[in-house]
Order: sequence, then structure tokens, then C-alpha cells
Amino acid sequence: MEDTWGIPGPTFLIGYVIALIAIAVIAAVNRKALFRGDRNARVDDLGPQQIAYLNGGDRLAVYSSIGGLRAAGVLGTGAGKTLVQTGPVPSGVTPLDSAIHHAAGNQARTRYLLEDQWVRAALDDLRAGLERRGLAVSRDTVKQARMWAWATGALTLIGVLRLFAGIANDKPVEFLFILIGVAVLTTIVLARTKRVATTAAITGLRQLRVQHGYLAPQQSPAYATYGAAGAAMGVALFGAASLYAMDPAFAAEAEIQRIAAGGLAGGSSGTAGSCGSSSSCSGGSSCGGGGGCGGGGGCGG
Amino acid sequence: MADDAYGVGIGWRPEISGFVAGLPGLRFAEVVAESVHAHGDLPEGLPQLLDRGVTVVPHGVRLSLGGAEPVEPERVTHLAAVAERLGAPLVSEHIAFVRAAGVEAGHLLPIPRSREAIDAVVANVARTRRELSVPIALEPIAALFDWPDNELSEADFLTEILDRTDALLLLDVANVYANARNRGEDPLELLGKLPLDRVAYVHVAGGAEHQGLYHDTHTDAVPRAVLDLVAELCARHRPPALMLERDGDYPPAGELRAELDAIAAASGYPAIT
Repeated sequence: MEDTWGIPGPTFLIGYVIALIAIAVIAAVNRKALFRGDRNARVDDLGPQQIAYLNGGDRLAVYSSIGGLRAAGVLGTGAGKTLVQTGPVPSGVTPLDSAIHHAAGNQARTRYLLEDQWVRAALDDLRAGLERRGLAVSRDTVKQARMWAWATGALTLIGVLRLFAGIANDKPVEFLFILIGVAVLTTIVLARTKRVATTAAITGLRQLRVQHGYLAPQQSPAYATYGAAGAAMGVALFGAASLYAMDPAFAAEAEIQRIAAGGLAGGSSGTAGSCGSSSSCSGGSSCGGGGGCGGGGGCGG
Repeated sequence: MADDAYGVGIGWRPEISGFVAGLPGLRFAEVVAESVHAHGDLPEGLPQLLDRGVTVVPHGVRLSLGGAEPVEPERVTHLAAVAERLGAPLVSEHIAFVRAAGVEAGHLLPIPRSREAIDAVVANVARTRRELSVPIALEPIAALFDWPDNELSEADFLTEILDRTDALLLLDVANVYANARNRGEDPLELLGKLPLDRVAYVHVAGGAEHQGLYHDTHTDAVPRAVLDLVAELCARHRPPALMLERDGDYPPAGELRAELDAIAAASGYPAIT
């Protein structure tokens, strides 16, 4: 019986595994470089909303602003769980504060704030500033990192073609099938790459969390003592749980998403990408390691 | 005295640890002894305070020195261990009871000013001091009521306990004010009878009036009258440290700073804010 495409099964499998691992490793190295950011960038002069953005993206930046406005006594909730103004916008606030306060004047609901044009514009400015400083990962950079999914996608396609050819040729395809599965998983992980903060920013955030440990919700911080800036910083560093610690009734009425915050906290890791995310990226590459595992399959082949 | 004076301090609480950390002139703080692990991690923020050279004194609230039964040995051991961990020059506890016959009151309760009660306190302080490597300061509490079987005046009661235990006095000026006011007495009269040279440090706290009674809440602002009493005390014999004791309903940082400054002004010590 002829080898499929003139390549013996074991040879193909070993080549396939090597290609998979190679792509995963190169992708991991490349994204590490892409997400590195400016190593000399400083985070200690950032405002709470900038820190919140780095820690949990747009949503946490909005929550941080809400926390500050609430602590300043100018934001409340009205009928239908809308935000309402309870005082004039304080002086010296950020554009995001102004935008959210303005939206509250129109009885916006928290979940629609991200669609408000002024809020959107303020967030875009905030992000652009952080990108310029090498603290935030730009969308283009994320797209670049996702490009590697094309490589593993191509490998998947080759594998699928070989699978059909092998079946037509009446060859065993079990190991190939497993490897294709690994290639698909790697592709999904690479294609769904998300990253907000650069590695430099994540390192800085970790220090800020230690420095401002007194704002952690488990300390039951006296938000009245720490003021609006402290409240905003608490939300920025420790997530929406801080809003619930500060003002549970308001946080619930304003539909502040605790789960999202939890997802951010554990996964300030996940989405925002503190250490967890970077390790979950390498999770992508260790997924390639799973390909190495398929290499075991190649052995069997 | 001036050399080893600490000046104005504050009760360290986790809720305001960031505020306390930001007080540039702070040299003295107090921490609730039961909130500190004898061997585990110190509460967040406390190590930084110690590193700065701030003296942190453990303040027990659950020893029940005034109880009829002997103090629980493990509580004494804990207090002693915490004092060592913090490198504290002294510890403090209340002349009160918090449990009786195994029932926890959850409050500091006043003991009758009787000879029998003094004997019980003296025995308990002696038991406690055996394990401590540093002195203990005893704090009389604010009482909203008096037991009918009081044999001694407050001053005589305290003086006798201090004499017999060789303990120091932790004087709570707000308590003195509260007790005098609620009994219709003159707080200065009590001050005059207390052994002021035995005062290790002073608590200054806020309170509020409800239905004619002054409550030593620790959650309200320090009234002018209490600050005046601080000034009077310091004019007679200035203690080495006076600290703001705030236990809840924490106000904005500016108000806390103003209270610390007011205590500094009343005592003549430098401002720490």
C-alpha cells in the first residue's frame, strides 16, 4: 500500500508535531515581545481610572470613576436602576468622570455607559495615552499577536486534508486526529488572545496593590477617610468588590457586575492579563506542549 | 519625661491603616491585641509602621481582668506573645469583665467598686504580669450605670488597684468626662485624686449624648469639653503619650487630622499630621 502523499505516517506525524511546537514557541516568544511594553514606564503617577483600565479594561475604568463620583456624593441611583446625579460635578475631575456624570444626568444605566459617546471618547483617550506610554497594549498589537492563529489554522487545514486522504487510502488516522485536535485548540487560544496591560504595567500594578494594600476590601477600608480618590483607587486595584464593600446598596442598584469583577480579579489574570493571562498565553504555548504530548502519539505511530 | 515622650498617637485600625501610615510625625500607636496573631502574619500595614520606628502597644479587650474567675491562661500567653512580636514597651487592658461563668457579654462591663472586686482584679493582674516581660497599664472604663454595692470612690478604687498591682494607668479622658457628666460630678475633681504620675498614656475619644446620658461611643467627634479636660490634665501632669481612639464611622481624613491637631494643641505636643 502506498504512503499517503508519498510520506510515511510516522514521518508525517513527527513533522506535524515539530511544526506545531515550533509555531507555538515562536508565537509565545513573539507575543512576549509584543506585550512587553516600555520597561521604564512608571505607574506611580497614574490616576485611579488609568490604573483601573490596565487592571480590568474599559469596564473597570468606568467602575472606578463611578466609585469616585459616589464617594464624592454626586452619583446615585434612581428608578429603573438608572444612574442619577445627586450633585454638581466636582472640580478637577477627569473627562471620564464628567462623561459618566453627564450620562447620569440622562438617567443612563451602568451597562450602557460603554455605549455612551462621551464615555466612549473619554475611554479612547485614556487608552491612547496609556498606549503611548507603553503601558497598554494597542488593538493593533493584539491583532498582530492573533496572526499566529493563521499559522496553526493552516496546520489544522493540512492535517484535515491528510486525514481525509488517509481515510481514503485506508490508513490508520487516530494519532493524526488527536494532533488535529491539539492544533485546533492552539488556534482557538491564539485567535482569542486578549491583552490590556503590558508586562511592564502588570509589574507596576502588582507593586501598587502592595503599596495600597490598605484599600483591599478585606481590610474594610474606611472609604470616607480615604475620600473619593481612595474609593476610585480601591476599585481600580481591587475590582468591583470594592464598590460592594463601600456601598453595597448602591452597587447592587447600579448593577455593578460583581462576577465580572471577580473574573477580573482572578482573571485580572484572565482578561486584563496580569500574570495569570501571560501564563495563560504561555498556556497557549504549553498547549503546544500538548502537541509534544501528541508527539507521544507520534511515537506510537 | 520629655525625652521619652511619644506625643500624640492614634489607635491603629485596619480600616484606617492607610491614613495612619500617612501621618508623618507619628511615634505612638495602639493596636487591639486580639487582632494580632501571636505567630502568623501581622495585620496589613502594621509591619511598615514598626519599620518606621513607631511604638505600637497591644491593647487587650478580652482578658476580663475584672472577672470573678481567673483570667484564661491562653489569653494571657497571647497578649505576652503579641507584646514581644511588636517589641512593645508595655501592654494595656481594661478594668472590666467581658464574661462570667462562660457567658460572653460582648461588651466591657463595669465591676462593682468593692474590696472583693479589687481582690479579684489584683489576683488577675498578678497572674497576667507573671507572663509579661513588660509593664501593664490598666484602663478604667466608662460606665453608664453604677453597681449599688460600691464601697469606694472611683479614685480610691483605682488608686488601690494600682498600688497593689504596681500597674500603670491608662487614663481615658473621655471616660472620665462621661462618668463625671453622667453622675453629675466634676471631672476635674476625679483628675485631682488620681495618681497622674502613674499614667502611661491617655485615650481621647469622641462620644454623643442620647436621652440625657453621654455615651462614650468612639464613633463621634471628640467634644470640646473632652479636649479642655486634656488641656487641664496636661497642665497638671503631662502624660508621655495621648492617642485618639476612633473605632468606627470614620470621618474624612481632614476631620481625623483636625482631631489629632486639636489633641496636640490641647496637650502642647507637636502636631503629627
